[in-house]
Amino acid sequence: MGETGTTPGIKMPEMRTTPESESRQVRPAERSAVLASSTRPSRHPVRVAAVIGIVCLILTAASTWASARVDANAEQRLLNVQAKQVSAVLSTAILLIQEPLTTALSVERVASGASGPTSFTRLMAAYVAPDKLFASASLWKRTGTAIVRVAQVGVPPDMIPGRPQTRAYLRNAFHTKGFTVRAVNAGTQDRIAYAEADPGSGYVVYAERTIPTNRRAAVDNNSAFSELHYAIYLGRTISPGALSTTDVDPRALPLTGTTAKVAVPFGDTVLTVVVSPSHHLGASLGQRLPLILLLGGLLLSLTAAPVGYQLVRRRRDAEENAVTITKLFERVDVLYGEQRDLSVKLQRALLPHSNPEIPNLEIASEYVAGAQGVDIGGDWYSIIGLGDEQFGFVVGDVSGRGIDAVAVMAHARFTLRAYLLDGDSPQTALEKCSRQFDISADDHITTVVVGLGNWRTGEVTLASAGHPAPLLVTSDGADYVHVEPGRPLGAGSGAYQPTTVNLVPGTTLFLFTDGLVERRNEDIDTGLDRLAVTVSAASAQPVDRLVAHALRTLRDEDASDDIAVLAIRWDPSR
Amino acid sequence: MAEFVSTQHDNDLCSVTAAGEVDIATVEEFLDVVRSALDTGASAVELDLSGVTFIDSSGLGALVRLRSEAVGRDVRLELTKVPAKVSRILELTGLAGVFLDPESD
Repeated sequence: MGETGTTPGIKMPEMRTTPESESRQVRPAERSAVLASSTRPSRHPVRVAAVIGIVCLILTAASTWASARVDANAEQRLLNVQAKQVSAVLSTAILLIQEPLTTALSVERVASGASGPTSFTRLMAAYVAPDKLFASASLWKRTGTAIVRVAQVGVPPDMIPGRPQTRAYLRNAFHTKGFTVRAVNAGTQDRIAYAEADPGSGYVVYAERTIPTNRRAAVDNNSAFSELHYAIYLGRTISPGALSTTDVDPRALPLTGTTAKVAVPFGDTVLTVVVSPSHHLGASLGQRLPLILLLGGLLLSLTAAPVGYQLVRRRRDAEENAVTITKLFERVDVLYGEQRDLSVKLQRALLPHSNPEIPNLEIASEYVAGAQGVDIGGDWYSIIGLGDEQFGFVVGDVSGRGIDAVAVMAHARFTLRAYLLDGDSPQTALEKCSRQFDISADDHITTVVVGLGNWRTGEVTLASAGHPAPLLVTSDGADYVHVEPGRPLGAGSGAYQPTTVNLVPGTTLFLFTDGLVERRNEDIDTGLDRLAVTVSAASAQPVDRLVAHALRTLRDEDASDDIAVLAIRWDPSR
Repeated sequence: MAEFVSTQHDNDLCSVTAAGEVDIATVEEFLDVVRSALDTGASAVELDLSGVTFIDSSGLGALVRLRSEAVGRDVRLELTKVPAKVSRILELTGLAGVFLDPESD
């Protein structure tokens, strides 16, 4: 990076964070966010799906069970209510059974023997028949210690007069308030025996009521039993022997499932009624809800699990993509940097490594790359010693940027150099060169100024192809040499007008490219004048200092255009 | 920042108005617009440069190229209302004779 005349280098500016280069770097915050998310645990879609599935199944099971329980509780409550209704109905029925007995006793008491058995018979006749309340009814009278049958209606009772059991049973009736009940078996028929006694009159009414052998009694649709199965037992124990009536097959007893039990007072004992629902008592929704929840829940589980799997997998894939993209970004960053380095190296290779030592000449040069991006510009300078005390020099500027601009630059540089070495004058060299370039093929035009000088005499001939004329710097100031610009290379072949100057000892020829003078918001002449002023201010300095001064003063840090500068001072006294 | 607008006046003349900067960033668009004007079949295309604020070597290169393409299509390409800044550049780069002299090849 020397600024001396003998080892010119390329001044590389720092890589600036222009919008273009920023977009090529992944911002650190983004990068770390991507990396952080990739370490979260949700990277196992199968696990997540399984968890979702299990959770859904558990919820399904729980809600199904809960709704089934709610329904069961409701059923039980409704059944309990119905059981109470059944109890009320049975109580009423029992009263209906008891009523004739009580009436018969009252009649006897009132009549006190006067009417005798006939009123009893007449009264009971209405109640005694195979299809009526009682199968058999009889009136008994206690006389002293004996109990004698006085009247009889219907079939003979199961109780045989004279039997100790008979007497015991009837006597017992006197001790009981209300009526007594017991089960009897009259050969083929099971019967319930009722006995009610009136201690005052000494009469006992005894009746037997048939119960079906098979115990079956269908349910009446309009009764309290319409939605129920029931089993009525005589006494407190539920046993087949105590069964009185039921609407189901006695072999299917006892009733299971939701049941309710009531004890209905029955004489000196109770009827134990067990009921269970024959239909669903509550709303049908309550019955169906568990099934609905079960099916719905299973369906949900079956769909939620795959959906969860997909979501997690997609997320994982997206995260992996993000990681890949980050890595790609990083790779692009690296490649970008590499490409820029390569371009810089290429340019450095194309520019002279060092300027030649030419008698009487003090030479300084500089190339400054533009600030922007990876593309390098096509500016160059070159100075060579030729035979016959001559030297040739070139400063040029290829339009645009990029590798192809550099290729055009290389072509122009080496072609002109060859012509100069061959002995061509600057204008001839340019003329020949102009036939070799065409913007349609090259995509670029090139401006060049070519010079051929004699280091002994100080005579210099210049020709320009669209390039700014060099400054002639003396102690009096700096002025532009008048060189008529011909067409840039690539803009068609043509002729070039040479200009010859005779240098005064100590004069510096200052050549440059337009990056040093061109500003967007200015006329070019303003920039040219400014350069002249700047250079003349340093005219007494050694050429390398002069070049550095010009660049330092005039170079816009953010400018995208590159700059090449070549300063040649002729000093025959050296 | 630049804007290039192509207008067809009649079957024979097409004009393109350029405004803003014609430089490395906008030159592709500039080329597209003028080329499509050249393709319209008009016998002459007029480039109105009155609004051009800046032109660099890429822009100049584009003008050179468009000119040779116009010649190839036998269409006359003419620069009009060239601002002083632009004509000065053309002068300094040896292109004044090409564009501003109607008698040039």
